[in-house]
Amino acid sequence: MAEAALAPDTARGAAPHRAQPLARRRYALEIRQHMAWRWQALILAAALAAGFAISAAILVAAGVPADELANEFVTQTFLDGQNFRAVLFQAAPMILVGLAGSLAFRARFWNLGLEGQMIWGAIGATAVSIWQLGPEPLRLPLMFAAAIGCGLLWVLGPAWLKLRLGVNEIISTLMLNYMAANFLLHLVYGAWKDPKDSFPYSPQFRVFERLPELGAGIGSAILLAGIVALLAWWLVGVSRAGLYLRFVDANPRVAHANGVPVRRTIYGAVLLSGAMAGLAGFAVAAGQEGRLTQAFYQGYGFSGILIAFLARNNPLAATVVALLVAALFVTGRSLQVFYQVPFSMVQLIQAIIVVCVASSDFFIRHRLRRVGTETAP
Amino acid sequence: MPNALELTGIRKSFDGFAALTDAHFAARWGEVHALLGENGAGKSSLMNIAAGLYAPEAGQLLVDDNAVRFAGPRDAARQRIGMVHQHFKLVRPFTVAQNILLTAPPSAEFRSHGERLRDIARDIRNKASALGFDIDPMRRVDTLSIAEQQRVEILKVLLAGARILILDEPTAVLTDQEAARLLQTVQGLARGGAAVVLVTHKMADVKTYADRVTVMRGGRTVATLRPQDASVAELVKLTVGEAVAASAFRPAPSARGAVRLSVRGLRTPASPEGRRVLDGVDLVLHAGEIYGLAGVGGNGQGELAGAILGLPGEAVEGEIRLEGQGDLKTMAASARRGLGIAAIPADRYGLALAGGLSVAENYAIGRVHTGRYGPVWRLRRGRIQADTQEAVRAFDVQGVRSVAQKAALLSGGNAQKLVLAREFGKSPALVLAHSPSRGLDVRASAEVHARLRAARDGGAAVLLISEDLDEVLQLADRVGVMTRGRIAGEFAQPADRQAIGQAMVDHG
Amino acid sequence: MNGGVILNWLASTPDFAVPYALAALGLILSERAGVLSLGAEGLMLVGALAGIGAQIAIGQPAVSLALAMLAAATVSVLFAVMVIWLRVNQVIAGLALVFFCQGLTALVGSLAGWTNHATEGIGAMGLWPLSLLPGVGRLFEQNAMVWLTLPLFGAVAWFFARTATGLRLRAVGENPQAADAAGIRVPAWRFAAVLAGSALVGLAGAYISVVSTKLWIAGMTGGRGWIAVGLVIFARWSPWKALVGALLFGCIEALIPQLAAAGVQLPQYFVMMTPYAVTLGVMVWVALSRRGADEEPGALGQAYVREERR
Repeated sequence: MAEAALAPDTARGAAPHRAQPLARRRYALEIRQHMAWRWQALILAAALAAGFAISAAILVAAGVPADELANEFVTQTFLDGQNFRAVLFQAAPMILVGLAGSLAFRARFWNLGLEGQMIWGAIGATAVSIWQLGPEPLRLPLMFAAAIGCGLLWVLGPAWLKLRLGVNEIISTLMLNYMAANFLLHLVYGAWKDPKDSFPYSPQFRVFERLPELGAGIGSAILLAGIVALLAWWLVGVSRAGLYLRFVDANPRVAHANGVPVRRTIYGAVLLSGAMAGLAGFAVAAGQEGRLTQAFYQGYGFSGILIAFLARNNPLAATVVALLVAALFVTGRSLQVFYQVPFSMVQLIQAIIVVCVASSDFFIRHRLRRVGTETAP
Repeated sequence: MPNALELTGIRKSFDGFAALTDAHFAARWGEVHALLGENGAGKSSLMNIAAGLYAPEAGQLLVDDNAVRFAGPRDAARQRIGMVHQHFKLVRPFTVAQNILLTAPPSAEFRSHGERLRDIARDIRNKASALGFDIDPMRRVDTLSIAEQQRVEILKVLLAGARILILDEPTAVLTDQEAARLLQTVQGLARGGAAVVLVTHKMADVKTYADRVTVMRGGRTVATLRPQDASVAELVKLTVGEAVAASAFRPAPSARGAVRLSVRGLRTPASPEGRRVLDGVDLVLHAGEIYGLAGVGGNGQGELAGAILGLPGEAVEGEIRLEGQGDLKTMAASARRGLGIAAIPADRYGLALAGGLSVAENYAIGRVHTGRYGPVWRLRRGRIQADTQEAVRAFDVQGVRSVAQKAALLSGGNAQKLVLAREFGKSPALVLAHSPSRGLDVRASAEVHARLRAARDGGAAVLLISEDLDEVLQLADRVGVMTRGRIAGEFAQPADRQAIGQAMVDHG
Repeated sequence: MNGGVILNWLASTPDFAVPYALAALGLILSERAGVLSLGAEGLMLVGALAGIGAQIAIGQPAVSLALAMLAAATVSVLFAVMVIWLRVNQVIAGLALVFFCQGLTALVGSLAGWTNHATEGIGAMGLWPLSLLPGVGRLFEQNAMVWLTLPLFGAVAWFFARTATGLRLRAVGENPQAADAAGIRVPAWRFAAVLAGSALVGLAGAYISVVSTKLWIAGMTGGRGWIAVGLVIFARWSPWKALVGALLFGCIEALIPQLAAAGVQLPQYFVMMTPYAVTLGVMVWVALSRRGADEEPGALGQAYVREERR
């Protein structure tokens, strides 16, 4: 029965004699026009639950006691002050890459180059520090501007290549990721290596080159992320460009036919996406690490995609999802410390959730209908 | 004489739309049986059921008087039914022989692939010459002309053993000579004992080649008769129906004004076979008139509309001048929207409305660039909502519980009314309506027509492109007939329906 | 730059070329059937890990390689179910697969303690009598897998060009509606193509770990899977052109250590960027020349629903 339902194209042929009743029903797969929001939410919740269940099972198999899981993830992460600060710390760049992903995907542009843009954002900020550009009070804003500019420029190439030449942006942005990563290594092992010791990182930023703390140990990066989230929400939900973007996302042909400036809208969204990713790099370099390091960006690329996907490209939802992903990261680190579970578990959990949610979309977009002649001879 | 193929009491709907409500059809061995009807009458759907592609909700299928049920096209092929579709099901980079190999029945003994291809090639050559034409089995399908590809499709079903042949609108894409050759060929097949079903809307073909004809209209079978016993006029009447008791033609209140739109020599590049979709269209439209462009679909109407609106497509040469604005071809589509051109395209969800967005958003996009709904940095949603609600009320768009609901939920008629509400809200200078009442019931159609008349009375120039001759005759001040990419003739109102129908038939 | 260096370079090229070649071949199999497989990077990792694991446990390279193929094919079932049955967007499914495999292989690799565990590889085989030539003979001393790659390519190319089964598979990728109307069961054929293609991609990954480096490190494929995706576009889905492209990339990669050994001073990390830059250049060139569009399988990347339209 399940087989006939899921693969109707392979329904067995009916014998060409008398019409057969119940056993030989034919099913047709139809594209569904619409599903009420509450059903969509229900399916999404079920998918998330399935994803977490599978992840929990794997964690238990890897040696984490089952009852400890709930304790670790919920209580320790959110209710413990220090851990909560760690979550906020981690959330700032997460929110930024999540927003970056959401914005680009809204323009139907697969910006997989978030890590590369982050790297260049950090490089830009570090350059300002190393070359001591600008007077002290302006240093941090200049680093901020450099980060945005570099991130934006690193995505400009793929954007132009796609819109002008039709080059697949998945490959182009990914290749630029690898190139950026190598360039980073070149810098931290070479010209910008801290002479004080033998580790591959840049010299520490000066006090005025770091993002200040807000008090109670919470960094200002999260405030920055919050502001950007609000700006993204404003762009998408309040401004006219948001309406244009919605049309481009829904149906570029209809958008074009109705006078939406499609090219400009796509460029705008994609370049902003790069700028935000660059800002994420700035947040990590100037907010967390305090210098340019060799692997600070790892894990953010896929996280950004995951956040955008789960939040259905909505900026406010992306902020919430980013907080949860940040919590996942923090939990992952403590699992690593206390139970020797490798950190790659976090990536696996993320992938499992994406698989579950993506698969559940089938039920939202399709409907199975039974078709067949009713009258038998 | 037993019926080769019979369908009785067939009912079929798609996502709520009833395509067939009570269809009957019966074809005998050895005859050419035409299935006649307008676009949307249900002919193709009925035959797709016979070919096993769709499953009916009710009704019965009989082959050679035995009841059958098909789970897929393979079952139909096993019953010796073969269908040649309007959109060929050929793999373009493959050769003719390779395509036919896909559907050929497996050979009894083991043959290597190369040997099978040679066998098939030989069969193809034999069959083709028996039918009187010439096909090189080793040529790639994408190097063949449309007529040749069609012959490949026919060979394909014949070599698969078909004795019941269904041809869906076969002459729609052929020149007159190619069409004549094809129909003579199928006539020969029928004389040889096969049953041939010819799905068509062309009366001339029916009169010349069919032994019997079944007429369908609105999803049901209307009549079955011998074409020799009826005149073209009677067939037209059965197909198109009595003129809808609704509006008769109402002339414009004032004389038409200055030239609003002038199209000259619009031409698209020629295909390898030398055909052009647009072949020198010349058209002049005045303010305060409705120009009705009649003609069978597929003769370039969509491309003409697309060229005027600036939609992406093939580059056209020629001139499109809008009064006071110069040549439109130099302007991008987004620029043209600001010029007061209202577009009501045929493809509602492909060009006019974004189904996934709300009714309000679809309404607002029409005027948002004017600043009516706020400056660039802020959309005034309150005003959008109020305007949309007012427009929904004024244009009687039903089924809108909230203007925030998705546009895809609207029924066809209401979606069309939403489009009208948006387009006419701009007080347009030029209205381009392509099949505006397609899929609408009589009442909705009448409302749409009233709006078009009102626009004309208000001084707009209206270009109405429609395959529904009734609609054209009810609305148009002048009627043009478009066939083969150009305007074949123009008629003033009151127009002679028969003459127009003849003009369409002669060239289409 | 003397002859010795050039000879060294050319002799080491096939070793670098084989993973690209095998991965591209696997991708061609599934893409010709219409399924866009962006998960190659992940499947290569799975093959690499499974290969090393088997090698550590059993020690027979041939068996390890076969098990690696099986492992990759098994993981690809998840992908096949997602895109063929559940009609998930093939880009999302491919990305999810890559990250799933990256996480899974890193996890299993570290839990099982296989990281950096050196194993034995397979020896070189000379192609007699060419291997007896003085000097140039070294070019013909390659390991068995290199030699195996050529008939493998021949087999796949022959399969597509000269068998009825290959014809059916191509029909499924070019025009699934036509294939369906001809009675070919599109989902089943696509499934088979994805599994077979993924097995080859897994083999490519296993080659890197079992034959080339003889150990496992998390993430060791380093983007080769993505480059293979670009390679297939560059090769216009033809096996022989893909082989040429693979050789090109093999040459580039083989050049890097040779330059260092020859004492040429180039910034190390810029040199490492070369394969990625070349891939980007290749994609731009393909877009500019625009001839690739004709050979692209007509229905690549589109889910097939025998949708009933009005």
